[in-house]
Amino acid sequence: MTSFQGTPTYPDHAWHGNATVLENVQIARATFRIRLASPPLAERIVPGQFLMLRLPRRDDPLLGRPLALYAVVPDASGRPHAVDVVYLIIGRMTSRLREVPAGAKLDVWGPLGNGFPPDEAEHLVMVAGGIGQTPFLSLGREFLGMQRYGKPPRAVPVAKKATLCYGARSAEFLAGVSDFEAAGIEVHLATDDGSRGHRGLVTDLIAPLVAKSPWPCRIVCCGPEPMIAATARIAQRLAIPCQVSLETPMACGIGACFSCVARIRDESGNWDYRRTCVEGPVFDAQHVVFDNEELGAPSAREAE
Amino acid sequence: MVQLAVQLGRLRLRNPIVVASGTFGYAREMTGFVDVGRLGAILPKTITRHPRPGNPPPRTCETAAGMLNAIGLDNDGIDAFLTRQMPYLAGLEPAIIVSIAGRTEEEFVEMARLLDAADGADAIELNISCPNVSGGVDFGTDPARCERVVSGCRKACKLPILAKLTPNVTDLARVAKAAENGGADALSLVNTCLGMAIDWRHRRPRLGNVLGGLSGPAIKPIALRAVFQVARAVAIPIMGIGGIATIDDVMEFLVAGATAVQIGTANFYNPTVTMRLLDELPEALAQLGAAGVSDVVGTLEVP
Ligand SMILES: Cc1cc2nc3c(=O)[nH]c(=O)nc-3n(C[C@H](O)[C@H](O)[C@H](O)COP(=O)(O)OP(=O)(O)OC[C@H]3O[C@@H](n4cnc5c(N)ncnc54)[C@H](O)[C@@H]3O)c2cc1C
Ligand SMILES: Cc1cc2nc3c(=O)[nH]c(=O)nc-3n(C[C@H](O)[C@H](O)[C@H](O)COP(=O)(O)O)c2cc1C
Ligand code: FES
Repeated sequence: MTSFQGTPTYPDHAWHGNATVLENVQIARATFRIRLASPPLAERIVPGQFLMLRLPRRDDPLLGRPLALYAVVPDASGRPHAVDVVYLIIGRMTSRLREVPAGAKLDVWGPLGNGFPPDEAEHLVMVAGGIGQTPFLSLGREFLGMQRYGKPPRAVPVAKKATLCYGARSAEFLAGVSDFEAAGIEVHLATDDGSRGHRGLVTDLIAPLVAKSPWPCRIVCCGPEPMIAATARIAQRLAIPCQVSLETPMACGIGACFSCVARIRDESGNWDYRRTCVEGPVFDAQHVVFDNEELGAPSAREAE
Repeated sequence: MVQLAVQLGRLRLRNPIVVASGTFGYAREMTGFVDVGRLGAILPKTITRHPRPGNPPPRTCETAAGMLNAIGLDNDGIDAFLTRQMPYLAGLEPAIIVSIAGRTEEEFVEMARLLDAADGADAIELNISCPNVSGGVDFGTDPARCERVVSGCRKACKLPILAKLTPNVTDLARVAKAAENGGADALSLVNTCLGMAIDWRHRRPRLGNVLGGLSGPAIKPIALRAVFQVARAVAIPIMGIGGIATIDDVMEFLVAGATAVQIGTANFYNPTVTMRLLDELPEALAQLGAAGVSDVVGTLEVP
């Protein structure tokens, strides 16, 4: 089900329905965790995939919003039962989402996108900026062998270690740190104002961590684009594999509208606009053309 | 049993629920959500003679009860379409109406010829109304050019031809009549309404292309008006398009004069919407005592 780079992932059996909200709680400043009951979604989704969420029976906001999987929650018998999503209050939809009480129903469809590839990672280094931390709890759990995802459950080589480098504006925005620690993930923090952890950029933490690690590292990254671009450059300099999850604005999340495009390079170095919702959101960092980069030639497609 | 089949000129559809071009990908994208075999027809995303990268992002922006888009006809061109998408589409049950856009009359005609020669297309929709590419829209605003491009394509191929028109004109009925005179089997009304959105704090347009096309529930009254006015001006059938999301919307368009409807933006925010409409249509027709779709088309009573 999860393919990688260049092959669109169209779900064979996506789920679209009304999911009951089991809880919706604040976990950090302007940050909430919402739990949605949906066994079909919970049993299929893998780390790095996302779902679309919409407030039902209203035309404003009209479109669904993409939100990454945070955690899959089992029922009493251990079967996948619900999904957790962590969201930051940004605008029209998320500011209303925080008001939604337990028991209410939301319009949900997914799982969507490719997810992180289950490639070997002896030391998995997860680099997150702000709300970009959301895909990494499930990924860390999976690589540490604590939980399996997908139907049938996908096989992932167990890592020796998983580290989260997590940067935020200030300490009060740091969300879910105890969830990561409880999963056995080593956490390194950075804040812009130094209110917790390293004062400065989260990307400052990467090179020293990799230098000290006794194992080969693999980096995965999610966050604001400049931070992803910086991480990609560091990974390239250190010559270690790096995958990034892009959060381009989306209208449909299912490959139907062509609005979520990013510039992705092919083997010959030419770029083309690719839909992040079906060909991503996870891409190999070397293939992404970041905003301030020299563009080079567009591919076989005619230049306008 | 309510009769769902409809006739659009030479094109017969099993039912009037069709998906609009550019809002359903190439159908494969939707198979996880929708039993595409149940649709009346499928309109894949518009193709052009040569590949086009499309516009720089941001390509869409949500607005009140609608959205703006400036995708810019991002597609791999007709050759790639025929080799990569057509074999899949041709194997599906619904009619395949291939949407094409040319920069010139010659490009339209050439593509019509290529589709006629290839297997798989049941009809062609001429997108002479895309607001996101310079050149395209001229065919939809100038009645004389509209008639020439329709008749050129009609002569070049045996497939039924639909002309998709833009609402961004003063006298839509005139352009519609020109398309009818050119030999169109049916008209698709409407494409998006030209609009824009601004981020005043940064003094920037919200779309990479500055201007874009408005779609969704916000444009439904404009589309209904277009169908109503044009239905009174032409004899050929109409596909109604614009903001359709519920069975009430479908019925309103039929009563206003549409023989079939296309569902666009609603596929984005409700990927299974077409299945619900198909489930609900027979009951809605029965409520009007209709034995078939054609019994309600254009039955609006204006006091
Ligand atoms: C694959 C994917 C996974 C995501 N996962 C999460 C997640 O786990 N948790 C989370 O909180 N958010 C996540 N996001 C981002 C989330 O979709 C947006 O924050 C959300 O759509 C905002 O909706 P809104 O209606 O509240 O804001 P809007 O009213 O739509 O927007 C408010 C402002 O934010 C800007 N904006 C909206 N979306 C984005 C974006 N994606 N990037 C940059 N600027 C944007 C708009 O341009 C506008 O200026 C993800 C996005 C993608 C594509
Ligand atoms: C993202 C997007 C892409 C579109 N692309 C095309 C296209 O390629 N060709 C076309 O003829 N119409 C295109 N349209 C227009 C729709 O087919 C339809 O005419 C219009 O959106 C109005 O219907 P709606 O309100 O139901 O969406 C596009 C619309 C949207 C929103
Ligand atoms: S969001 Fe519609 S194609 Fe990706």
